Amino acid sequence: MKRKSLLYVLITCLMFSLLATACSSDNKQNESTAPAKGDEKVKLVVWIWETAKDGLDLNMEAFKAKYPNVEVEFQTMKSTDLYSKYLITSNTGDVVPDIITVESTNLSQIVQIDSLLDITSRVEPYKDKMSSYKWEDATKDDKVYAMPWDSGPVVMFYRNDLFAQAGLPTDPEEVAQKIQTWDDYYEAAKLVKEKTGAMMYGDSKTNSSNRMFESMMWQRGLWYFDAEGNVAVDSPEIKESADFLIKMQNEGLVFDARANSDQWGNGIRDGKIATVVGGSWHDAIIENQYSPADKGKWSVTMMPKWSKDDKYTGANQGGANLAINKNSKHPEEAWNFIEFMLGSEDSQVQMMEKAGLFPAMLVNNDASLEEKSAYFNDQAIRKVYAQSLANTYPLAYTSDFPMANKLMTDVWAKVFLNNDSSEKALQEMAAELRSKTKRN
Amino acid sequence: MKTPKWNKQLLFAPYLYISPYFILFFFFSLYPILYSFYISLTDWNGSGEKHIIGFDNYVQLFGDKTFWLSLWNSSLIFLMYVPLMLFLGLIFASILNSNWMVGKGFFRMALFVPNFVSVVAVSFVFILLLNTQDGLVNSILRSIGLIDNPIPWLESPWWARISVAIMVLYRWLGYNMLLLLTGLQNISKDLYEAAYVDGATKIKSFFYITIPLVKKMLLFCTVLSTIGTFSLFTEPFILTQGGPLNSTMTPVLMLYTESFQNFNFGYASSIAVCFFILMMVISLLQMRIFDDKE
Repeated sequence: MKRKSLLYVLITCLMFSLLATACSSDNKQNESTAPAKGDEKVKLVVWIWETAKDGLDLNMEAFKAKYPNVEVEFQTMKSTDLYSKYLITSNTGDVVPDIITVESTNLSQIVQIDSLLDITSRVEPYKDKMSSYKWEDATKDDKVYAMPWDSGPVVMFYRNDLFAQAGLPTDPEEVAQKIQTWDDYYEAAKLVKEKTGAMMYGDSKTNSSNRMFESMMWQRGLWYFDAEGNVAVDSPEIKESADFLIKMQNEGLVFDARANSDQWGNGIRDGKIATVVGGSWHDAIIENQYSPADKGKWSVTMMPKWSKDDKYTGANQGGANLAINKNSKHPEEAWNFIEFMLGSEDSQVQMMEKAGLFPAMLVNNDASLEEKSAYFNDQAIRKVYAQSLANTYPLAYTSDFPMANKLMTDVWAKVFLNNDSSEKALQEMAAELRSKTKRN
Repeated sequence: MKTPKWNKQLLFAPYLYISPYFILFFFFSLYPILYSFYISLTDWNGSGEKHIIGFDNYVQLFGDKTFWLSLWNSSLIFLMYVPLMLFLGLIFASILNSNWMVGKGFFRMALFVPNFVSVVAVSFVFILLLNTQDGLVNSILRSIGLIDNPIPWLESPWWARISVAIMVLYRWLGYNMLLLLTGLQNISKDLYEAAYVDGATKIKSFFYITIPLVKKMLLFCTVLSTIGTFSLFTEPFILTQGGPLNSTMTPVLMLYTESFQNFNFGYASSIAVCFFILMMVISLLQMRIFDDKE
């Protein structure tokens, strides 16, 4: 075991020494920013994860036809690895990668470390073409550092057969009417449990991803931080939303498994979970990964809101962006690539249709929105997504989101394992966030 | 006849021969350690300006419940698996050291395999096994009627620690067994023969001959395990992400979280420095234990 521990110490030392060399190499980046001329071959390295790469692959042929001189190499890795790796890379002044993919949840944090290329003027023509909230996380001091890719408008997926057995309507319009608020959702959950034995949704008590809770906050314009950037998790409205989910858990209406884990997927496959309130990208997960045999059993409608007179019904969950490394030697080509992939309606629609990536770009009038999904009961599911997106509160994840998300998981654990009150747990979380992030 | 030149070479040569170690040590250990100490005095997000803030990070660290909890967790996990591991290791080693045992090579190998299989792969297998809803362990325990409700292996603080301890036990049992085996092989067979002549049973010779004579080796294993437990990373990181409620958080996992997830490099460095001091104390302790004058 000693060898092992020495290895860790060595790795730690290595990491810090890598960071150390970082500070002395700032002058590298100005060496060559001139665009490649004529028929000079240029290679772009893109760091990306597998599912996102599937989207870009759809448009690679068209890209190669337009830019024959640009060769693109994708290096795939897990998104979490990508961020820590990029942090080290950018610090050592590396020119590789040229482009990185960043989830909206982590974008603001990456922007804060000042390692991305300022693309403010380049994105100018796209400012109004994208969902406005996507720009916030990409912006620091009025400068924009990333181009929005897709967003995850939150909707409610539900099982027709379970709803029918429980005596609930199954037509999406009727369901939306019947389950307008979260209270209606709770009543429906009790019916579903009583008549079918299934649970309303899946979420772990002690290892929650918090995505359900965050969607509920988002649609009400609430967040871990308020508009001034102060910690807001101890606000009464947030406690209200938390208490609602605690009630659902305590009454046994929730399948105890972390959302998007294998256990959760098995619950979906076995028909133990009646709804999934989550980002639009769940359609591909339900259809292809967990429940391919259940064609026609699922439908999609708007997520419930907090109270009937709330203005917004939608929320956002996830979504990604593309950004350019400040040290890249080929910023022009990199931008051309990003613009080609994300700035054109054709390529965005392609990715929406075949890779389930609902664009941040507003494509409201596109014919593909009307297309019916055979799996989802012949429903035009993308129209629901567009409707949700149009009704989404303009909110950003902000830079300390990853930390807040982790601490929130502990809040549930304190409530369910230690029987702490939600008020106490949320206050403790607020205090810890304040001391760690030095916010108010 | 030594010429002056030869003399000089003689003076110089030993230093040349040992210099690679010191050069490597300087660049890869000493410099990073000192630099890490410097970072620990700053507020730094991994990029851009470092703001010197003195010992603020240490003040914050000593007041940080998670840090103390991580030390406490390591101690608990240590107590959960080390005594059992050494006991089992010694028994297996004795069996493999005995004359009547067949297929020694196979068993030595089989017990050692978990140590060099990728820990990430092993962790994922453990997640499948210990899954609360439909894991194999719970299914088996339920089908033989030992438990009514599934055990939340990875979802409650105590079970999560036990799960980590079980996994560490599984991985390191073979390694410790090998160490103990070398200790056993140094014991002269005459002692056992003499005991046999005096009418001692096998069990008696185990407790009165074997254990006292491998005591040094047992201590050595204990010290290695201490350091190993405090620097546990992969197992809790993949099994439980340090949760629930930080119950499987270890100092090294905390260091990773603070640096590469929260981008608080100053704070992470202060953890690294404290961890370094802790390790040094344990190592000094180790040297004292083995400073045998007998």
